Amino acid sequence: MAEISQDGGGGRKKGGKVRSKKMSTRIDFTPMVDLGFLLITFFMLTTTLAKPNIMALIMPEKKDIQEEDLEPVKESKVLTLLLGGKDVVYWYEGITDPVLDSTDFSAEGVRKVILDKMDKVKGQWGMEDYEDFKTKEKKQGSFLTVLIKPTKDAVYKNLVDVLDEMAITKVRYYVVLDASEAELKFIENPASGLKFSASEQAASLK
Amino acid sequence: MPKHKPKRGTPLIDMTAMTDVAFLLLTFFMLSAKAKPDEVAVVDTPSSVSETKLPDAGTLNILIDKDGKVFLDPKGTHSRKELIERINAEFNLGLTEEEKLRFSTAGGFGLPKNKIKGWLNMPPAERKHVAMSGIPCDTVDNQLAPWIHNARLAQFMMKQQGVVNDEYVIVIKADQNTPYPNVQQVINTLTDINVNKFNLITTMESDPNKKHGEGHGGGEK
Repeated sequence: MAEISQDGGGGRKKGGKVRSKKMSTRIDFTPMVDLGFLLITFFMLTTTLAKPNIMALIMPEKKDIQEEDLEPVKESKVLTLLLGGKDVVYWYEGITDPVLDSTDFSAEGVRKVILDKMDKVKGQWGMEDYEDFKTKEKKQGSFLTVLIKPTKDAVYKNLVDVLDEMAITKVRYYVVLDASEAELKFIENPASGLKFSASEQAASLK
Repeated sequence: MPKHKPKRGTPLIDMTAMTDVAFLLLTFFMLSAKAKPDEVAVVDTPSSVSETKLPDAGTLNILIDKDGKVFLDPKGTHSRKELIERINAEFNLGLTEEEKLRFSTAGGFGLPKNKIKGWLNMPPAERKHVAMSGIPCDTVDNQLAPWIHNARLAQFMMKQQGVVNDEYVIVIKADQNTPYPNVQQVINTLTDINVNKFNLITTMESDPNKKHGEGHGGGEK
C-alpha cells in the first residue's frame, strides 16, 4: 500500500523497444491521511473546547462594618434556609415565633418555598423597582431577603444548589451566613421554638 | 474483437478529498486546542444554571477535594516565581534558585510548608503522582492565607511590571460532596484577608426558566 503506485506506468512491452519507464504521477496519500487522522485524534482528545462555567459569589466584608451602615430588614421580608445533612433544607419565615419546616432541593421543594414566600412579600410590600446595572433596563424585583445558613452536615453541592435557586427565582437579596447555636437547637427540637436575638447573631458572625 | 484484459495492480482510490477534510479538521483542532490542564486532585464539580464562562485572565485556582484537602494552583510562571520567592522568605524554606525555578512550572500542589522542598526535589513525573495531604487551613495553622496573599501580591507586581495583564481571579473548585465546613474554612480564610469576591466552578445544567416555558419565572411573573 505504501509504495508509489506504478500502475498505468506501462510495463515493458514484449519485444518492444526499450523505452524509458513512464512513472505515474499519482501518489498514494494513505500514509499522509493516516498521520492526519492520528493527529486529529490526538488533538480532539486533549482539547477542552468548553470552558468551565463559573458562579460568582460575593461574601459580606468582615472588617470595618459600621453600625450606621447596617440597615434593618423588615422581618416579614425574610426567609431563612438552613442547609442540613442528607440534602434536607430547613426553613422558617421571619424571626418571631417561627415555624420550622423542612423540604428538599427539588423544583417542588425549596423553589416552591421561595416562590410562595415571594408571593407573600409581594402581597404585603408590592414589588421593588430597580435598574439593571448592566443593561440599564427598568425592572421589578421582589423585596424578599433570603438568609442561607449551611450547617456542618451540609455538603458543598447543597450550597451551590441553593445559590442556583437564588439565580433561578431571581432573588436579589441573599447572603450566606453561619448558622447560630440557637438555630441548630431549633432544628433538633422545633417545638422548643427559636429564641433568637439579633445581638447573639451579630456576635456569632465575628 | 476488443481485447479484454483483466485489470492489474491495486485499484486506486482518490484520497485527495479525504485528505482535504482530514487536514481541515486537523488545522481546526490544532488552532482551537488548549491542552487539558493537569489537575492535582480529582474534583467532581456540582452543576448550576450559571452560564458565565471562566475568564481568560490569570486564575488562582483553589481546589478542594471530597475529603476536604485543599490544593492551590496559581497560573503563570512569572507570578509563581515571584510567589515562591516571597513564600521562601516568609516560611524560611531555604529553597535554592534551582528549586524555585522548578516551582514556577510545577503545577498544582497541596502540601504543608515543611514538605515543599522535598516535593520540588522529586523527579517531575513523580511529583504529579505523589499523595498530597493538602494545605493546612484550619484556625490553628492556616498556611493557605499567606499563600493566597502572596500569590495575589506576586501577580499584582507582575502586572505592574507589565508581564501579565490582569490580577488574579480567585476560583474555587470544590467537589460536590465536600463537607461544608471545609469549604467554609477556605471561604473564611479568603474573607479574612479581604478577598470577598470569588468564583465557584460548576458544570452546566439547563435553566428551568428557559426550558420550554414550564418553569416558574420567579420574581417577574
